[in-house]
Amino acid sequence: MKNLKKILVCKFALLMMLTLLGTASFTAHAQVDEIRIADSKGDWGYPNAYRHYPRGPGYVRMSWVYDTLIWKDEKGYIPALAKSWTYDPKLLSFIFELNQGIKWHDGKAFSSSDVVFTVEYFKKHPYGWVPMGDVSGAKAVGPNKVIIKLNRPYAPFLAYVGGVMPILPKHIWQNINDPKKCNDSKCFIGTGPYKFIDFNKAKGTYLYEAFNNYYQGKPKAKRLIYIKAGKPLMTLSTGKADLANIKPDMANALKKKGMIILKNARGWNKKLMINHRIAPFSSKRFRQALACAINQQEIIDKAHRGFGYPASFGLLSPDHEFYNPDTPTYIPNPAKAMEILESLGYKKDAKGFYIKDSQPLKVQILSSNITVAGDSVADRDGEVIKQQFEAVGIRVDLVNLEQATTDAKVKKWDFNLAISGHGGLLGDARILNRMINPKATGSVNSARFGANKKLLKLLKEQVSEMDVEKRRAIVYKIQEIYADEVPAISLYYPASMAAYNPKKGIKWYYTHGGIGLGIPISQNKMSLIK
Amino acid sequence: MNVNSTHQISRRLGLILIFGLAALIMTYLSYSLPRLLPGDFVTAMYAGSDVTLTVDQEAELRAYYTEEAGFCNYLLKLVKLDWGYSYAFLTPVSALFLETFPWTLLLLGTAHIISISIGFIAGVEASWRQGTRLEKGIVGGMTLLEGIPEISTGVILLLIFALKLQWFPAAGAETAYAEVSFWVRVLDIGHHLALPLITLVLAYFPGNFLLARNSMMMIIKAPFITTARAKGLPDRRIRYAHAARNALLPLATRFGLRLAFMITGVLVVERIHSYPGLGTLLFNAIQARDLPVIQAVVLISSLMVLAIILALELVYKIIDPRIEYER
Repeated sequence: MKNLKKILVCKFALLMMLTLLGTASFTAHAQVDEIRIADSKGDWGYPNAYRHYPRGPGYVRMSWVYDTLIWKDEKGYIPALAKSWTYDPKLLSFIFELNQGIKWHDGKAFSSSDVVFTVEYFKKHPYGWVPMGDVSGAKAVGPNKVIIKLNRPYAPFLAYVGGVMPILPKHIWQNINDPKKCNDSKCFIGTGPYKFIDFNKAKGTYLYEAFNNYYQGKPKAKRLIYIKAGKPLMTLSTGKADLANIKPDMANALKKKGMIILKNARGWNKKLMINHRIAPFSSKRFRQALACAINQQEIIDKAHRGFGYPASFGLLSPDHEFYNPDTPTYIPNPAKAMEILESLGYKKDAKGFYIKDSQPLKVQILSSNITVAGDSVADRDGEVIKQQFEAVGIRVDLVNLEQATTDAKVKKWDFNLAISGHGGLLGDARILNRMINPKATGSVNSARFGANKKLLKLLKEQVSEMDVEKRRAIVYKIQEIYADEVPAISLYYPASMAAYNPKKGIKWYYTHGGIGLGIPISQNKMSLIK
Repeated sequence: MNVNSTHQISRRLGLILIFGLAALIMTYLSYSLPRLLPGDFVTAMYAGSDVTLTVDQEAELRAYYTEEAGFCNYLLKLVKLDWGYSYAFLTPVSALFLETFPWTLLLLGTAHIISISIGFIAGVEASWRQGTRLEKGIVGGMTLLEGIPEISTGVILLLIFALKLQWFPAAGAETAYAEVSFWVRVLDIGHHLALPLITLVLAYFPGNFLLARNSMMMIIKAPFITTARAKGLPDRRIRYAHAARNALLPLATRFGLRLAFMITGVLVVERIHSYPGLGTLLFNAIQARDLPVIQAVVLISSLMVLAIILALELVYKIIDPRIEYER
């Protein structure tokens, strides 16, 4: 009996030891040492609102350090600094209830006064990602409640302010008058899950350390490192990185090596910019003839080995909640294109090319490598489009330029046609205003089209319409008019993919509607939290 | 003071004056040429970005980033060693230069030293074995290798040694933020250096080999070599102390000029291997229209060419004391 007791005690002790060891081992593995993310450019500026480059990867690097009032995950909006939010139409205000016990990276307490300060600071020192024109001001109601008042009903508020605006610490930024020049480490103190430690400008590398007092839980990796690597296939397969954007034709090879492949929704489009200010492009019929001459699927097949999807002529992606399935489309139809051109007075010469008033119909297409989700992508679309236009009788002068040169020419309207592209097609429908409105003079991706007054009126109305269904109806109409006017031609959505190593126990994903304004990058900070 | 020394001084003063004038012209060109690039920083940074600027915001940014100080002010700043601030990083250009220059120097300097040493010795030895099958084979191989550009060699090496065999890393100059000891870091840097270095050595070595061999071919037929042989001097001494020394001159010129074109010469390899040197800095600066950085790198690059040509003038005399400049 005594022996049995001894055996039982021993067994119990052994069991306890194993349990303890197991727990210890679980705790040790709960936070991995580091996560490495690779991209081809590396340098995206310093990670704060005024120092990061105005492209998606720059914003994402900042998002690890600074939290916003609300955030998005793979399903949609989720609480962040604010645990709940409502819109009060009578007050024309959004009301945010803040989480409690939040600390800044320097240990100071976060409060509603920081949110009020941030709104005022961004009004005084504009931050391009957060347009504050429709925000009247902010008021703190106690330490954990903030009311942000609008000038007028503003439907994209959550998408453009609440879910994008990085909240700044008042105790630091109140003394900074030239935010662009702040180099001090205190200018990188936020409430986000990671503390910014270093950015090496020459190497394009970033180092972040886990902020273990993060209010949403301890981050899953102790260190987060961004490295510069132009060959994602090699970087991932040699274990030098845990996550990277990849080209679609790498997917199978990486899958065989045990990587998880992520496919993004259609949120980025390649498009043909048209200088609709000059003849013959100022004619809607002529632009429609161009649209009929283009075969989107052929561009995808020939220039991208089939990795892509034909784009909607209404600009919004078919994956967008406000996409209008009845948007007019232009089925590839060279005969129809020729018919339109002939109705406009063009006649074919002996070589089969159109002429009018003894002048040949000749267009110039500018093409260049462009940046897609942070990676420079070569352009072969121009060659295919040239063939398609020449097949209907339009002579083409294809000019390949470096991207900044093309941008400068497009910006100054010194072009006929230019191949360009942009994302944001899964984010808020305000993207339509940014990509159509003639006031968007700073953008080379915007059609800057003001010829259709009805379209302009609808664009203005849709951002003020707070009723979702009424707004949807307006956005549907905008897509119809846009597709009919074709001030620019959306060509296709390239297949966008990322790959990650699942062995680190992190599940990466593409964010619903894209990170922030619609960034199609699979580096959501919540992957390292929840 | 005799006539000779007066001549020497006046010659040197003339040389300094000519080089000074050339430096001034190059400074002006490095100041003005980058300004002719289409587009500016604000367009390159914001026009295709995720931010849509209003007219006022754009004007404000342009005012913030545009410096119209004029060439005289630019020159005055340079004299004070002030190269300006990078628009993209808002940090001094000198700091960026100091961050990138050591990596380029490490890569290119090592590549040059290795390729020139091996190329020279191999060239001397090959010329000594002129007409043998080994020599013919090596010359053929080197001529072939000389025709292969760095971009092809770099990619092939990456595919074999980084992707397939996984012996070397595919990108970078070291493992970013690795928490290791000093010596492990040195090894890591060497490990990362291997592929870009081999790429450059393979690009430079054949040219050095062929140049050394061709120079030697002419020298070994010279009467003084026959005399040395007749005197019964050891073979190795004739080869290196008598013949090879005279073949050094064209190699020194090649070494100098290659080093002078350090930034443009290494750009392709730095891009392929994501190596953080001056070439990458210049490439990124041009893409972003970061004018102060472009101006500084172009200026440094052109002044380097001048400095090396000047240095070569002096080195020639040391290598070959027979060189006399015309009076």
